[in-house]
Parts: sequence; C-alpha cells; structure tokens
Amino acid sequence: MPGHDWVNQKFLERLERLALRWRKSFPGLIGGRNASHFGGPGMEFLDHRHFHYGDDLRAVNWRAYLRFEKLFLKVFRIEPHAPVRLLLDASASMELGAPPKFDYARRLAAALSYVALVRLDALVLVPFREGLESVMRCVGGRHRFAPVIEFLAELRPAGRTSFLEVARQFVDRFADRGLLVVISDFLDEGDALKALQYLADFGHELVLIQLWSEQDRVPPWEGRLNLVDAESGAALELDFDATARRQYTAAFDAYCEALRRVALSNGGRYVGLPTTLDLEEAVFGLLAGAGAVEA
Amino acid sequence: MSLLNLTLAQFLGLLGAGSALLIVLYLLDRSRRRQRVSTLRFWVEANRAPETRRRRRIQQWPSLLLQWLALALLLAALGDLRVGSRGQASRDHILVLDTSAWMGARAADRTLMVEARELARACLRRLPAGDRVMLVRADALTTPATPFTEDRALLEEAIARSQPSATALRLGRALAFADRLRRSGGNAGEIVFIGSGRIAPEELAQPARIPDGLRFLEVRGEMDNCGLRHVVLRRDPQDPSLWRILARVRNYGRRPQFRRLRLAFGGSPAGEAVLSLPPDSEHEAAFSLRTQAAGWLELRLSGRDALADDDAAVLELPALRPIRLLAYTRQPESLRPLLATNPWVRVEFRPPEAYDPVAAADVVLLDQFCPPELPRIHSVWLDPPADRAPAAVRRSVSQARLSRWRTEHPVAAGLRTRDLWLASARVLTPAQDDVPIAEVDAGPVILARAGRPKAVIFGFQPLATAMRYEVALPLLFANMLRWMAPEAFGLQEVLAHSAGSLTLELGEDGGGEVRVVTDGDHSLPFTLERNRLELFTSSPQQVRVLTSAGERVVSFALPELAQARWSPPAGVRRGLPPLRAQSSPRLGLWPWLALAAGACLWLEGRLYGRFRPAAAHGPTRLSWRAISGWLRRTGVARS
Repeated sequence: MPGHDWVNQKFLERLERLALRWRKSFPGLIGGRNASHFGGPGMEFLDHRHFHYGDDLRAVNWRAYLRFEKLFLKVFRIEPHAPVRLLLDASASMELGAPPKFDYARRLAAALSYVALVRLDALVLVPFREGLESVMRCVGGRHRFAPVIEFLAELRPAGRTSFLEVARQFVDRFADRGLLVVISDFLDEGDALKALQYLADFGHELVLIQLWSEQDRVPPWEGRLNLVDAESGAALELDFDATARRQYTAAFDAYCEALRRVALSNGGRYVGLPTTLDLEEAVFGLLAGAGAVEA
Repeated sequence: MSLLNLTLAQFLGLLGAGSALLIVLYLLDRSRRRQRVSTLRFWVEANRAPETRRRRRIQQWPSLLLQWLALALLLAALGDLRVGSRGQASRDHILVLDTSAWMGARAADRTLMVEARELARACLRRLPAGDRVMLVRADALTTPATPFTEDRALLEEAIARSQPSATALRLGRALAFADRLRRSGGNAGEIVFIGSGRIAPEELAQPARIPDGLRFLEVRGEMDNCGLRHVVLRRDPQDPSLWRILARVRNYGRRPQFRRLRLAFGGSPAGEAVLSLPPDSEHEAAFSLRTQAAGWLELRLSGRDALADDDAAVLELPALRPIRLLAYTRQPESLRPLLATNPWVRVEFRPPEAYDPVAAADVVLLDQFCPPELPRIHSVWLDPPADRAPAAVRRSVSQARLSRWRTEHPVAAGLRTRDLWLASARVLTPAQDDVPIAEVDAGPVILARAGRPKAVIFGFQPLATAMRYEVALPLLFANMLRWMAPEAFGLQEVLAHSAGSLTLELGEDGGGEVRVVTDGDHSLPFTLERNRLELFTSSPQQVRVLTSAGERVVSFALPELAQARWSPPAGVRRGLPPLRAQSSPRLGLWPWLALAAGACLWLEGRLYGRFRPAAAHGPTRLSWRAISGWLRRTGVARS
C-alpha cells in the first residue's frame, strides 16, 4: 500500500486515544460526543418549553402540568454528529522544503483522518488548489483507513492557490456548518485572511494548521538572489543579507500572528508547525495543546 | 608517486588553467543564485536594491570546491598518477626489429630472421615485467607493430609474426622514429636494434644519427650470395619480334663466384651465359629472344646460395600485335613497297570486288574506289571517285603546286616538300571535323577526319604523282598509321626490379598523361618531376606505367638487398641488456581517480545542480545536518 510508512503501528495505537474536538454548537443528529446548545433528544436536561401539537408526550413534564395545569415539554442538550471537513493544500508551494511540506501535510491529514475514523466522525477530505478538488469521505471505522491512505498518496502538489475561490466553492458545496480543519502554508497571492474570515462568518469552526519549512521562515541564503515564485513563476532579484533576513522573518511571523488572530477571534484554533518537527510530537504536543484534539 | 603521462609543470599548468576557467564560469553563471521559493510576499518587504557596482562573489564555495576537486582528480587520472617511487618507475623501451629482405638469408640451418626473433625474445625476458615495450618493424618503412605495452604475450606474438619483407633497411629513418617515440614518453628506456646491420649504400654517405640509449643486438651471418639485381626487356625498334634482354647480377659475398644464368621462355631454354663474378661486384649479361607470342620469360641463376629469392626472375612478355591493314586496290605492286616495309604493319591486298565492310582489320585503304557501304574501321581514301567521295570535291586542278603542310597535325608532323607539283588533283571541301593536311593554292587536297572511325582522304593518287619520289610519302603513311592506331607503335618495355623505390626516366614521353596502375587496376601513387617518375612499393607486385608513348611493365619481383654494412659507433651498447631486478609494478590509480571525480561531480550535481530533483530544493548550504538528512532520505545511511 503506498504511503504505509507514513504512520507506523505504534503511532496509530496512540492516535486511537484521541478525538477531534470542537467548541461550537452545531445542529445535527445525535450520536456525537460534544454537547451542543441546541435542544433535542438527549440525556442532559437543558430547558422547558411550551408543548406543541405533535411533540413527544414522553418529554412532557407531568409534575409541572399538575402544578400549573399547562403542558411543558422538557428539552435536553443534544450531542450531535457534527460534520468534519479537512481542507488540504495541494498547491505547488507545498512541494518545497526539506522535508517537503506536502509530505508532512499528507501524513498529518492521514493521522487526523484515522482519529476521525476511530471515533466514527464523518470526515470529508478536500484537497484544494485554485479551487476544490475531488473529495474523499472517510466514514465507517478504522478499517476504512486504507482508502484514505491511497487517496492521499495519489495527490501531487501542483498549481496555484486561491483561498477566496476555495472559500466560495466550499460554502456552495457544504451548506451545513461544522468543524473545518485547514492544513496549508497559507501562502497565496490573494488575501487568505479574508477568505478564512468569510468561512468563519458562515459558521464553521476553524482549525488552522499552518505548515512551514525552515527556509520559508528563515531563508538560509545570502548574496545576490534570483527568486522564482513556485506557484506563479514570478521572479525577483535582490540582495539578501542578515538584516534583510531579519526583516523577512519578522514579516513572516506577523503573517502567522494574523492567521492566529483570525482563528482565535472566531472561536477557532491555530497551530503553526515547522516541518522539521516530529509528527507525533506535533499531534500530541501542539495540536493537543491547542485543543484541536483531545485525549 | 609520479605522473606517467604528464610532467608536473604540465599538470600544474592544466590545473591552473582549468581552475581559472572554473572560477570565471562561476562568476559568470553562479554569482546570482537562483532559488525557488513558496511566495515572494515576504521577500518584497525585505528587498533591497542591488548595488550597481557590487563585485561578483562566489556564492557556493562548496560547489566550486567539489568541481575543482573533480577537475584535479580528472587531470591526475589523465596524467596516469602512479604510486611508488620514481626509481621503481617502469621504463619505456623500443625494440627495432630488422625485417629487411636480407633477414630472409639462410645461414647454416636457419634464416637470420629466426635468429633475430630469438634475440628479441631474450631481450624481452631480460626487461622487468613492469617496463613497457613497443615493437617496431624496420625495413624501407618503419612500422610500429605494437603500442607501448606491458603485455609480454602480445609482444611475443608480434615478434613471431615478423617476417622478412622485400625491401632494404633504412636504418636512419627507423632510429629517428624510435628516438622521437622515446623522447615523447615519460620515463625513457633503451632503443634496442636487432638486425644484421645491412643498409643501403646511400645511408653510408649520410650516416644515421645515433640516438641516446641505443643498444645493438647483431645477427651475425657471413654468407655468400649472388642475385639478380635488375632485368630489362625491350623490343628492338627495327625488328619488333626481337626482344633485347639485359640482366644485371651481383655478388654480395667476399669470394668470387662462377654462376650460370639461364634464360627460358615458355619453359623452353632460350639462352645461357656463364658469369664470373668477383667479390662485391656486378656483372651484366645480354640476351636476345625472337618471339611474337606472349609468354613467361624466366631468368635463373644456377647453384645455391644464402638467399633464393633473388636467384630467379619471371616476367610476362606481351604478344606482338602489328597493325592489320587491308588494301583494296587494283595496283598492289605499286603500294607494296610503301606499306610492306613497315615492320609494325601487316598488309593484305584485295581487289575492290572483294570488299567486305566487316573484314577483320585495323585500317582499310581504298585506292580510287568507293565501296557501296562505308567501312566501320579507320580508313585511307586515295583519290576516291568525285561523285561518291567521302569529302565534297570543290574543283579539279592540274599542275598544282603543293604549297603547304599542316605540320601541327600529327598526320603531317615533320613533313616538308619543295616544289612538289601535282599533275592532277581534286580540291576537297572540308567538313566540320575535317582538318586540311596538305593544300595547293586552290585549297586542301588531303583531309584528316577525326572521330570514330578516323579517316584520311587524298584528293589525288600519291603514287601517280611526283610525290612517289619524295621521302615525305612513307613518312606521311607512317604518321597516318600511328595516328590511327597509336597503341601498335607504343613503346613496350618490361623490367624486373627490386621492391622499394624506383626511378624511371620517361624522357619525352613524360609530357602527356601518366598513369601507374597495378595488376588489379588500382592506381599507385607516384611523383613526376622533370620527366623523372618515382614510385614506391613495399611488396612484390607488377605495375604498369602508361604514358602517351606506350607502356612499361615493371615487375617488382626481386628483393631489395642492402649492400653496405653498418658499423655502430663506439658509444653504442652491444649484447643483451643486463638482467634488472623485477620491481613490483607500480599501482596505477587512474580508474579510481576517475571514479572519485565522477562521484564529486555527481554529488555537486545533487546538491547544487540546476536539474536536481524537486525534493532536493532545500537549503543548499552544505552542512553535516543536510548531508546526513539527505543520506537518510536516499537510503545510503539509516537513522
């Protein structure tokens, strides 16, 4: 099976203890783990409301009826089965780095998919470039992990990124709100922040996982450089020295901070991962620490 | 440690030039590093305008270092770097083996060549196994038989395949060639000349320059030998059926010899001469042989001597082929003195009624007769009837004076008459290809028509005019026949000569086109200067020298034997070389150096090349971390 060495057996066993976690309340069918503010047929009492014709008589609070001679219906907190979508950046900029960011992103996506499969979450893998690519629905338990690996293994990084177009297509295709995990370097020519804000405004809970290679953050070169954009092919000539490197890194960090603010201000989470970081450490350390997954 | 193919200065010079070129290329090509990045948005903020006069700097020192290392390793491989001290260095020797014709001479029970081969093998065994040896065969040409090699089996095989040639030794050329080879090599060894030392006499006048490190292994053999040096066969100009034969015999020994020289034609004895030959002298013997037929002529010296190849010469004689002239005339008796006196012409007279247009002949003569069908061979028309003449008759004249001969034409070459009056003649009108040969005041009376076939038309019967008393008449007929059938009058000469170079004096014949062809009709190169033709052949064969005047057949059937003996100067070493201790062969490193250079280039290409895989577009700063990571990725090392 291609990609079988992305995650080893020991790592998978550790992943089985994890679960994807979201904070927002989503409507939906019962069967999930996270409580919602929406009322419905649950176990934990939430509120009373007036009885309407057609309501379930088993939820009528007969004690209140005896006291007030009015029919009140007990409303319970539901734990809905919220949809989980994982947007995976497959643009050309992801192939850079050592190791390539895309390899790291695929391994991370595989790990999160396994977590979702084990917890019987309805995960949809959505690669994207300038728009959404063909999707992969991961449901049905851990024995459906192999097709996920095959799907990820066939992906090749290419093309440009357009977050605005991706956000528009995503909203069109996936009407129901849910958890949205975005694995990307968030480096596009447009305004990715605006697109992410649009997705958050639509009601999705964002988990932004930003990947960068060391050369993305701290370029190791010096001197006269002829730079070529991996996605657009645009070229730039410049002299690069230690001062310029500091300015570059500061600009990069500022962008990361802007991403983090977009996520947190909308009730989401942000995790920045250098590709040199071990994947297991990234999942059980940074992702768990940020609350994207919980044990 | 030393370089075999390059001196240290050459190595350093090449390395310096290559390094300079490498740095220039780096400064031109890699001073601006091309990098592929995820985005340009942060770079724009960090961008600073390039300084306009900034000096070019090398950006990728490790890359330059790797390429320079590869260059140095390649140069060392080309220079054949060897491990070991200079004293243990192998030397390059040259064995010059005499393969001249004289080496085929037999002394006692074996030839000199066999003895020379044994000496060469003995010399080879005395040389250290690590020394490289080249075998050069020397006769009139100097031919390398092997390259410089340590392969003794290859050298033994080349020695065994060396055979006596047909030419004499040119020692000066052989030693000069060996000296050039010796100077061009790295660690020069000896030049070992193995042979009898018999050289051509002209080399005694210009002694060979003795190169350094020459050793002479003499093949001794005092022997008696007599042989044919030169044989010339030529037809008698007055009697073409008679061959004049001249043979030159030489006694190469130091004792007088009495030998019989026998001549045989077609296997039958045709002559014999007893020759008394003083030591180291030549004698000429003349024979004559009358025959018109073709056949093999053999000249053979009686008795046995050291070399049998020069005791006999076999030559092929061509048949005599005179011109067949068919004369249709009613006055054969008047024409007979004119035509039958030429020994190269065979005349047959017939009456005009017996005319046959397809009769077997070379030339037909029509005396006052015009046949119903024109002849298909060369023809001579004497006063043809005016109404059917091959040339239009303009008018008839009487008592006309022959005023002019066109002597520039071959038919009229050398002709001259004075106050020759023609009693009657017809003035002819020349056609387009006709050339007037003789003219009266009214116009031409003799025309020559070129083309195929040729024709000469007389407007008068020469024997009926005063021209029959002129010398010009037989000359005119001789010229006509030579013009019509030049091959029949051609010079025929057969020579037996020794192989090697030959000089032929062509005389007046060399003015026209000259061709030299072998029996297989292949052209042989030659030089022609002042009518002197020089050609060279190293093997026995028969060649034909074709000139406008005829054909010379040269049979290079006799061996070219040197007559003089070379005496080496006092400084030349003699005898087999002393046995040297077998040093351990020095280790040649060039394959490993070439592999290391290739590995350096491959590593440089992987780390810094433009076409390295996309996964390798990481940081190009050479660090142990990067190298170890790359090794882990490629599976060379395990983490």
